[in-house]
Amino acid sequence: MKVAIGCDHIVTDIKNHIKEYLENRGFEVVDCGTYDFERTHYPIYGKRVAEKVVTKEVDLGVVLCGTGVGITNAVQKVKGARCALVGDVAAAVYAKEELNCNIIGVGGRVSGIGMIEDIMDAYFAAEYKPTDENKELINKIDNLIDRTDYIGDDHFFDEFLEKWDRGEYHD
Amino acid sequence: MKIIIGSDKKGLQLKDTIVSYLKELNFEVIDVSEGGDKDFYDASIKVTQMVLEDVKNNKGIIIDEFGAGPFMVADKFKYIICAELNDEHSAKMTRDHNNANVITMGSGVIGEDVAKRIAHRFAVAQYSGGRHQIRVDMLNKMC
Repeated sequence: MKVAIGCDHIVTDIKNHIKEYLENRGFEVVDCGTYDFERTHYPIYGKRVAEKVVTKEVDLGVVLCGTGVGITNAVQKVKGARCALVGDVAAAVYAKEELNCNIIGVGGRVSGIGMIEDIMDAYFAAEYKPTDENKELINKIDNLIDRTDYIGDDHFFDEFLEKWDRGEYHD
Repeated sequence: MKIIIGSDKKGLQLKDTIVSYLKELNFEVIDVSEGGDKDFYDASIKVTQMVLEDVKNNKGIIIDEFGAGPFMVADKFKYIICAELNDEHSAKMTRDHNNANVITMGSGVIGEDVAKRIAHRFAVAQYSGGRHQIRVDMLNKMC
């Protein structure tokens, strides 16, 4: 099992912990960053993880930020990504079994390490159970996005990063 | 601001509770799934499209059993930023930092009181903008 993992600078330590946790269970983990605590932007890492999953470079993905909302939004906006943001085991299992969820998201400032580990165990152990009904739902979800042009485009966000560097985004 | 709410059958009871609660608080609420839709997909499309009619002001809430399906549907639309929520902290933070305009909740995941608090916090919390806007701009370029 090959798993891509990504996070923002708020939860890098938790990402590192989960990476090690998954490696100890025998998974090959591809760390998509971020790698330190320097302020950065969650869409960069969510997009990277989702792209590795939808291009089949890896089997499944894990993403986290403070609440999990920001990074999972970047994931969902890649065609073929089906992400659930969960704080409990039930939703993680449902999402995998019924919707073949290929990327699982958690909030590093919302769920504790024990709960996140439990979610990981349950998510990776669960298997998709195809039915005509859920296959149709998955197909409809995957067809909501047409664009694939930004998959693999590492410069897609450059215009905003340049604006950031010019100091145009400030509190 | 209009709050547009939809659900499938499994989310119907919780959805009706949230509709009544927000109306009591004098929010303008539009229920697009009276009696509950056939599945989460139909409910999610209706809510999302109505939010997009005035995306700067409208907010959406979608309820099914787990919240995961509606999250997958709503987020596939450009300019929709959706949060699958279980807790009150994220309800506030996702407005503040992500400028979320749709939330999803699972009737099989959270109870009525927490769901009401999440809906209320989501309805009143404001977006901070500033440094957070770069991330929102990035998301809005996608899809």
